[in-house]
This record gives sequence, C-alpha cells and structure tokens, in this order.
Amino acid sequence: MTTKLLKFTLNGEMTEVAVSPSDMLVDVIRDRLNLIGTKKGCGKGECGACTVIMNGEAVNSCLVPAMKAMGAAVETIEGIGGPEKFHPLQESFMDLGAIQCGFCTPGMIMSSKALLDKNVNPTSEEVREAIAGNICRCTGYVKIEEAVFAAAKKMRENQIGRDRNEQF
Amino acid sequence: MSSFNVVGQNVRRLDAVEKASGTAVFSTDFKLPGMLYGKVLRSPYPHARIVNIDTSGAEKLPGVKAVATHKNTPREKFNTSATMTFTVPTYEPVLDQYIFDNVVRYVGDEVAAVAAVSEQVAEEALKLIRVEYEPLPAVFDPLEAMSPEAPVIHECATGKNIPGEIIRIPFGDIEKGLAESDVIIEEHFKVPVQKQVQMETQAAVAQVGADGKITVWSTTQTPHPSRMILSKVFGVPHSKIRVLNPPYVGGGFGVRIGLSAKAEPIAVALAMLARKPVKVVYSRKEDFIASDTRHGGYVTVKLGARKDGAFHAIQMKGILNAGAYCSFSCETPGVLGAMGLAVYRIPHQYYYGHSVYTNTTPSGAMRGFGNPQAMFAIESVVDMMAEKLGMDPLELRLKNIMRVGDPWCLPYKCSSTGLAQCIERGARSIGWERRGKLNRPGDKKLRGIGMGVGTHVSNAWPFCVDYDNAYVTIQQDGSVHLAAGVPDIGTGTSTTLPQFVAEVLGVRLDQVSMAFADTLTTPFDIGSHASRTCYAAGTAVVAAARDARKQILDYAADFLKVAPEGLDIKDSVIYVTGPNVGAECAGTGVCRAGGGERTSVTLKELAYHAHLRNKQFIGVGRIVPDNAPPWHAHFAEVEVDTETGQVRVIKMAAAHDVGKAINPGIVEGQIEGGVLMGVGYALSEEIRYDEKGRQLQDSIHKYMLPTAEDRPEIDAIIVEAEDPTGPFGAKGVGETGLVPTAGAVANAVYNAAGIRLKEIPLTPEKVFRALQEKRGEA
Repeated sequence: MTTKLLKFTLNGEMTEVAVSPSDMLVDVIRDRLNLIGTKKGCGKGECGACTVIMNGEAVNSCLVPAMKAMGAAVETIEGIGGPEKFHPLQESFMDLGAIQCGFCTPGMIMSSKALLDKNVNPTSEEVREAIAGNICRCTGYVKIEEAVFAAAKKMRENQIGRDRNEQF
Repeated sequence: MSSFNVVGQNVRRLDAVEKASGTAVFSTDFKLPGMLYGKVLRSPYPHARIVNIDTSGAEKLPGVKAVATHKNTPREKFNTSATMTFTVPTYEPVLDQYIFDNVVRYVGDEVAAVAAVSEQVAEEALKLIRVEYEPLPAVFDPLEAMSPEAPVIHECATGKNIPGEIIRIPFGDIEKGLAESDVIIEEHFKVPVQKQVQMETQAAVAQVGADGKITVWSTTQTPHPSRMILSKVFGVPHSKIRVLNPPYVGGGFGVRIGLSAKAEPIAVALAMLARKPVKVVYSRKEDFIASDTRHGGYVTVKLGARKDGAFHAIQMKGILNAGAYCSFSCETPGVLGAMGLAVYRIPHQYYYGHSVYTNTTPSGAMRGFGNPQAMFAIESVVDMMAEKLGMDPLELRLKNIMRVGDPWCLPYKCSSTGLAQCIERGARSIGWERRGKLNRPGDKKLRGIGMGVGTHVSNAWPFCVDYDNAYVTIQQDGSVHLAAGVPDIGTGTSTTLPQFVAEVLGVRLDQVSMAFADTLTTPFDIGSHASRTCYAAGTAVVAAARDARKQILDYAADFLKVAPEGLDIKDSVIYVTGPNVGAECAGTGVCRAGGGERTSVTLKELAYHAHLRNKQFIGVGRIVPDNAPPWHAHFAEVEVDTETGQVRVIKMAAAHDVGKAINPGIVEGQIEGGVLMGVGYALSEEIRYDEKGRQLQDSIHKYMLPTAEDRPEIDAIIVEAEDPTGPFGAKGVGETGLVPTAGAVANAVYNAAGIRLKEIPLTPEKVFRALQEKRGEA
C-alpha cells in the first residue's frame, strides 16, 4: 500500500510519520508514535476514549483519517502536563476521585480541556454537553463534573494572576 | 471514636498519577517485539454444526502466521468463568466449552482464529476461511428452552437444558407461613439482559517461551484462577504459567471473573502455533455479543404478611437465561435467592431457582450477581404490600428489616446492620415527606418518590472457594513492599490495601508500594470479585502487616532494651511509649533501670541493622474470610412525562452501610457508579434478539447506557455500622449501588403515575402503553 508522509504538530513538536490512506489518527498516535495515553474503546466514535484536541477542537481520533491531520496541531494527554507540572484538569481529576479504572480518563480530560480552553466559566449543562460523548462506566460522572469545575476555577484564578502580572 | 492516620482518610489514589498523565499501561496498550495480532471468526448462526472448515485460503495469505480451529487446538473442556476453580464440593463445576468446537451455539460463538502481522491482514484472512454450516433449531427464551420440543443445547442430567443443580433454599415452613398470612401478594417479573460495557474490551497478549513457559498479560479480574483454567486447557503446570495485568484493567463489573471471555486461550493457542507473541483485543461488537452478560429471566415473588404488617412468609422463584454456555449460571440463581431472602426478617421462606441454556450470548457475572434481579421484584412487591395494608412503605420496611443476630437463611451471621440508619438518612436527603404532594391536577409531567433496600455479600465464602494470602516485607531501608494477588479493576484496591499496611505498621503511605495482579510476584488469591477485595484481601493484608509489625517490635525491643509491649510505631519511628526511661518505664528491667541508651529508632535504621545481621522482617497473611452484609437504601425521585412515556430520574439518594469506609472518596465513587449503572438497568439498558438470534444491541450507540447528560443528582451517603469480621470494620461496597436501584425507580414511577410495571427497563414505549391502559381503565 502506498504511504504518504504526514507532517503535523504533535504536543508542540513537529512530527513526521509515514502513513497509509486507510490509517486512522488514533492508530498512528498509539501504534506508530507510541503515545498510549490516547485509548481505543470502540473504534467507531461511540465512547470518546480516543479524544484528542485537533486545532482547538475535541475530536474522536478513531474517526479522523490520519492524513486529515496534515499541518494540524494535535494535542494528546501526554502533551498537556505531567509529573513536573500537571494541567489543572489532571490535578483536579487526581484530587477529587474522578479517576477509577482510568480508561476513559485521558479522553475525558481532553474533552474537558477543549471546553475550558474556550470557556473557563462553563455551566453544568455546558460541561455535561462537552463530555456527553465520553462514556465512563465507573464513576457515574459525579466526581468528573466536580473535577472539571474545580479545574475551571483554578484556571480562572491563574488567568487573573497572569492578567495582574501583565499589568505590572 | 478511634482515630487512624491513614485508614478512613481520603488519600489520593496511588494509581492516579499514571492514569492522569496517560502513562498507565492496560492490556490493549501492551506490545512485545515480533508480536502478532489475532482475530476471531464468529458464527453467524445461533445454532449449527460445522460440517467442514477450510483454512487453506487464509493460510496462504501473506502475513498470516497461524490459523486455529477445533482441529488443531486442545479438545479439553473448560468454563471461561472462575467457577471451574472455586466450586465448593459436593457441587461440581460445569465444563461445557472448548476453545473452538465443531458445534456453534450462539451468534458470535468462536469458529476459528488467525494470527497475522497486522490486524488488517488478520481480518482479511478471516474472510478467506470457508465454513460449511448445517443450521440446527435454536431457542432463545429460557422457559421455552425447557419444553420437550426445544433443541438440546447441552446434555444435562438435572433437566432439559438446565446446567448444574436446582437451587432450593428452605427456611421455616413455607406452607404454614402462607396459610397463616392475612395478606398475600404474588407477582411475576421479567428482567433484561444487561451488559457491563466496561471501557476496555476483553484483551490478552500471550507469549510462549522456547522453554514452554507461558506468560499472559490480560484484562482478567482473577489472575490466579485464570492461570488454573489455562493450565487445564493446555496441559501445562501452574508453575510454568504466569498470568498478570499489565497492571491496569479498564473496568470489570464481573465480565472477566476467570478468563476475559476467550481472549486468553485464543491468544495462547495462536502463540503456540505461530511461535510468536500474539495479541487478541475484542472489538466493541465482539465484546457485546461474545462476552458474558447479566442474566435476564423471570422472577416470581409471593409475599405473605400479617395484618399488622409483619412479613410472615416469602416464596420466590428465579428462572434465568444462561445463554449458550454455563459460565456462572449455576451460582447466579443461588445468589438471587439467598440475597433476596436475607433482607427481611421473615420466619417462613422458600426459594427455587436455576438457569436454562438458550442460543444466546452466555450470561455470567455482572455487578450485583442476581441480586438486582431479586430486589427489583421484591421491592416492587413490598411497595404493593404497603399499599394493600395501608401503610407507609418506609415504615413497613423499617418494621421488617433484619436486625443483628436475627436468624436468616445465610450460612453466616448477620453481624452488623446500619440499614435503619440508611433508611433514615436517605429519606431525609430525598425529602420523603414530600411524597404524594408533588403534582397538581392537569400536570403533564408527574413526579414521584420511591424507595428500595437491599443487602449483599462481602466475598463469596462459603458459597465459593474464597481465601487470600499476602506478604508484607520491610525493605532494607525501611520502606515497605506489599504483595497481594488481586487486580485493581478501578475500585481502588491498589490504594486501600496499602492504606491498611501503612496504618498497621505506622508508616507513611508513600513508603508502601504494592505488587498486585500477577501470579509470579504474588501469593495465591482468588481475585477481585464479589465485593471482596477490600474486605477479604484486606483481612489477609492486615494479618500480614500485623505479622511484620510483631517482628519489627520484637527486634526493636532487643535494640531498645524494652519489652515489645512498651513500643509503638509512628511515621516510621519505633519509640518507647509512656514514661520513656527510668523507674516509671513500663518496659524491661534494663529500661526501668535507665539502662536503655535510646528511646527510639527509625524503621530505616532498624531494618538496616537487621540486614547487617542477616535478617529481614517478612509478614505473611493467610486467611479464610468470614462474611458480612453491607446494607443500602435508595430513594429515587422521578419525573414521568405522560405524553411521551419518558422517565427521568431527578435524584437518587443512596445511603450505604459499608462498615468502616477505608477511603471514603473511593467508597462514594463505587456508590455513584453503581447507582448510574442501576439507573441504566431500570430505564434503558437491554440486549434483545431478533428471530435469527442476532443481538439487536451490539454497539454503545445502540445500547442505551447513561451518559453525563442523563445522570441524576446522586447523593452518596456513607453509613458506618462497623462489622466485627471486617478489616478495621470494613464491608463490601463494589456491587451494592446497583442492587436496590431498579426497585426504587419502579416504585417512584408508580408513586408518580400510578403505573406498576413488572418488566424493566422502563422504556418510553412500555411506560406509554401502561399509561394508555390506565387511562382506558379509568
């Protein structure tokens, strides 16, 4: 099968990988680039475990042909924070018990991040809508919603802090 | 109240960092050098004989390394569930499966498998396998499957298509009890096939070494029993097989107690044929159609009461759909009966139940294990009884619930109950007094409040073999290693068990690490099922930690020249308690005389001191658990749209007596998740079949499980009636959130709209039809 060179920005780094036309983004991320944080729970866009952020939007990477990512900026769970400095969403998911089996967690965090990147003060309906495509069978979503709100609050405070710093 | 440093604290889960950062490894993530990908060919027929199977086309396809069928794989019968390793004599486990057979018994049954260099090639190869089927008559309903005309699915000694034994639970004198009852209500209920839909599908990676040793990384909830099953299937000694999680598992809910459907044996068979590692990951569709479900079926309840509301007799019957293979179909009807009968103090009881084979996906273990089926029926009847007696359903329940020490049908004591407190606190949360005052004439959307209660187990003993071992070893630097053979399927095992160790040893939690879910590095443990891990494995872990603590204190006593009783450990420092030295010292003569030079030593220094003298502190815990009843009361507020039949749960107050909550945040998470799964069971989740035996719901979109937008407000309330048999008083909580939910919702729907549905899920169609019928009657 003919392969083409996919060039895109993955977690802030220019990345090149040979892909075939039938390859889906989720498989390229997981199997070729070895970023296993992005999970695959159905392969049909029904569970949200494979959610990544592409050009600012949360997408099911199992529905995105890899070549569609040409030139795009893609963010996965590995790119938003880690033990050196966690993203506020990662912090709040850990602290508020929003993680059980952990299989939905990366996708859930990425969907939430796409929301909070645009709207740092969401309503309960907006949060629920943002994660409606992310199935979690462990938590009943209660602590996940709490964690998203806690992270939003922290991000708002960080924003105020940054604004103040810019003023001085 | 006793205070603890780590137990009872909301500490952050120890697996959270890996899971939040995307580095946690699950079976579906696992890769080995040279690894092949396995795919399975499945039957399109619900029942057929395989007359011929030709794999030559598939074998010729470039990239195909092995093709497995019934012709080149072991003809050793087994049962994918762990029942074949823990059925208690004199019962015999039912072994009715091969890896591949020459008869297929449901749509999705395994016919062949291919290992190839990629999933795509493996899938291409499946299309090249030519199978000639001779279709056989099929049956899909358990009642029909017992009839003389029904096809034989498996030869059974007990009765037509009945696996195992009939379960009979007699208690008191049922005939006398019914004769003496003033009011009797008998109702028949139908319960659906529910699916676990755990987020990670069934998966296994198998490696067969040149020396014949087998290693399997998989999604099993029970690595040690899974190893026993694989040993029997492949004729390889236990000691030469290693089964482990890698180490995380994307949920379980009972679907992999034993093997992960057939992912493990298919991966091993292919790895043996191909002489390379093979990974088998079920697609979501395969997970739906070819991986155990909850048992659907029929439940009958006949409840007799005295005029004053005292329950006097209960007779129950449960006929469950086993599906095509037995799995846990012998045990589930037993738990249905035993748990159903154990909730109320009723002097005369009788239960009769069994499963029946049909040509549908096998039913097995799912969170609640027969209990949600029982409690939907019982709690509906209890509400009907309250109405008939003119009593408040809450008062009727309070009058009849079990108390500590009451006789019951279970083979262990009712050693604790906080159910009355659960009822009281749940009622307060929902606002029970608002019941009946929520609607005005002419309202199109009607609100109602209903309740349901229940109990469960904290492990499977004495119904199944159930024991635990654990090691706690103090490392040479004073840090602590725990080994226990239970997986963490998301329920927090790998945090709560270290919490026990930290508490007993007096060390900080960050000093404890844990090996789990691995037959090579942990002693035998039955595994994570039956709400048992915190309670039963926890008991072994506490025993191991106490053993290690005793060795530490004995050694420290010599070191500090005091009696061990005069020592305690806090923050990894062993210190002399009370007046430290001199005449008032409680310790040895040397100490009293002021001869002890020191009053404390760090565990780090002591462990190294011991190391230099050829000694390590190694604690061992080997226990057979007792059992203890967790209790729960759920209160649902619902809204019934009388124009569409849509039912919405507005709020669920879920009060649970879990004994001591070792990590309250984790306990709340178990309750909340169970409640929502129960709301799905009550309102929308169901797998149905068409006339050709095909599953109509075989994807997440078709199978209506609750999303974040569907969830009600959930108030998880923890009640702590500590049980004397549990570690620090803990009881089970993993399954209980599901148990009383459907009954509470159905009772709330009746309270709202006056319709009593005896079949769940309460879909808009059923509710709308019932509303129409009610209007017709009026």
